[in-house]
Amino acid sequence: MIAKSKIFEVYEDSNRRNIYTVNLVPGKKVYEEFIAKQNNIEYREWDPHSSKLAAAIHNRCQNIFIRKNDVVLYLGSSTGTTCSHVSDIVGKEGFVFAVDPASRVMRDLIFNLEGRKNVAPLLESANHIEKLAERVSLVDVIYQDIAQKSQLDIFLKNINVFLKKQGYAILCVKARSIDVTKKPKQIFNDIKFALEKTLTIVDQRTLEPFQKDHMLFIVKKK
Amino acid sequence: MPAKFIFTNILGVFVFNENYKLVDGLLFKDLDQFDEKEKHEKQIEEKHGSLEKPSGDDLYKILEFFKDKKYLSELRKKNIALTRVSVKDSVNNDLLIIQTIDAVEELNRTINLLTKRLREWYSLYNPEVSNKVKDHEKFVSSIVQKKKDKLLEELNIDKNDSLGAELKEKDVAAILLLASQINNHYKLRSHYEKYLQELEKETCPNLASILGVTISARLLDHSGSLKRLAEMPASTLQILGAEKALFRHLKNKRNPPPKYGMIHEHPLILNAPRKNHGRIARALADKASIAVRVDYFKGEFMGDKLRKDLEKKIKNLR
Ligand SMILES: C[S@@+](CC[C@H](N)C(=O)[O-])C[C@H]1O[C@@H](n2cnc3c(N)ncnc32)[C@H](O)[C@@H]1O
Repeated sequence: MIAKSKIFEVYEDSNRRNIYTVNLVPGKKVYEEFIAKQNNIEYREWDPHSSKLAAAIHNRCQNIFIRKNDVVLYLGSSTGTTCSHVSDIVGKEGFVFAVDPASRVMRDLIFNLEGRKNVAPLLESANHIEKLAERVSLVDVIYQDIAQKSQLDIFLKNINVFLKKQGYAILCVKARSIDVTKKPKQIFNDIKFALEKTLTIVDQRTLEPFQKDHMLFIVKKK
Repeated sequence: MPAKFIFTNILGVFVFNENYKLVDGLLFKDLDQFDEKEKHEKQIEEKHGSLEKPSGDDLYKILEFFKDKKYLSELRKKNIALTRVSVKDSVNNDLLIIQTIDAVEELNRTINLLTKRLREWYSLYNPEVSNKVKDHEKFVSSIVQKKKDKLLEELNIDKNDSLGAELKEKDVAAILLLASQINNHYKLRSHYEKYLQELEKETCPNLASILGVTISARLLDHSGSLKRLAEMPASTLQILGAEKALFRHLKNKRNPPPKYGMIHEHPLILNAPRKNHGRIARALADKASIAVRVDYFKGEFMGDKLRKDLEKKIKNLR
């Protein structure tokens, strides 16, 4: 039996082992996800090994602050794995700007998210705020997963310009991509400290055992 | 209220008053018009007098204006169109070189694997040839071109002394079918090697003249593009491909830093005494780094001069 979970638009098995979103484009898979049907509704399993946001939910994150009808700026969309579930969550009346500068993964994303009328693909770097401003609107939520040294700076810049006041932003940090010589714990503490200067941290989750040395932060804009 | 702000995005040029109400504008019909946005902005400004580009809170309000179902669906259409064009336009010679070198290396692995199989198989029939001809390519082409008797004769072996069994014609044919396929793989590989040479002549002639076609292609493959290779410090180029050793060193300084990565395959290093490897790698990387920058900025060919400088420098080391 698949039923509502504590998180809006996210579903779970009765044994709570697997989570799902309702497929916005029934009949189309995005990655190798398992598809379940119940009462004529198609659910896509959300695999915590392939998606850091799903990993955070498995690790008891109680609220991901992405709601039906939200407009989301997704930075580092890659081939669209997590992005597709975000697209399921915000639904037909919501919207997702999917940003990635790598044309190889963008090519796959275009094919994978074909038919999702609520996603706009942008081949662009999240670092180019002025170029992004020509292509997006203000948004309710920012999600960022880019394995780059300057990711914190990029995150703050985007929040500053594109996130609505009181809006939420999610940051996935991979310790190794910031500094290989420092202890992950130290890196996460530094980031926490920097975020707290201007934002309110509402949640913080490690992603073990799905991802090693990763942390997911959720912040609120003041 | 008079017009105050001018804001341009992929949808068009928009003019707002100080309450962020839209007062004028122009919608772009296609991406070409977006490309000429300065021209369109000028036209609008001539009409309204001087207008301000919004920033800070003003920009916030204007971006909020576009957070609306109607504009979002237009933004989607235009973003899809622009992204499709950019993905298409991102294909260049760098990517052709990368695919070609990957194909060459995959052919190498395939050839090695299949030739080992062929040697085992053919040796049931005529083991003396495999035993005597150690070079893979020569072995394959010999057995494709010549019959068992002829090959044994060339090796001065009496065919009655062969350790191989007499096989039926169809069994021999099965073995030789594999041999001729491998032979085709060799031809394909040399075709791609020539093609690689042509591509690099257009794309990175200077780099290729310092490092050779194969190492140049591998460096491009590893870094992803000529641009990234050109932006790299020479010291990074020098150890490209030795990331594991570098991480080991960074984590624990008791591990020595790597002296070279992929450029170690270069004959100037391979043929030098060991004690000089590090210093030659350094000199090689310095010149390669200059060469790739010249290539990236489409400068003149100066490979010969760079190579001469390099050889002189290395001679002085000994
Ligand atoms: C770990 S992957 C993201 C995976 C994805 N979030 C998911 O879960 O399906 C990181 C992506 O960030 C992209 N990236 C790197 N630098 C970026 C930048 N400056 N702006 C946007 N994306 C970037 C990379 O091209 C890569 O596709």
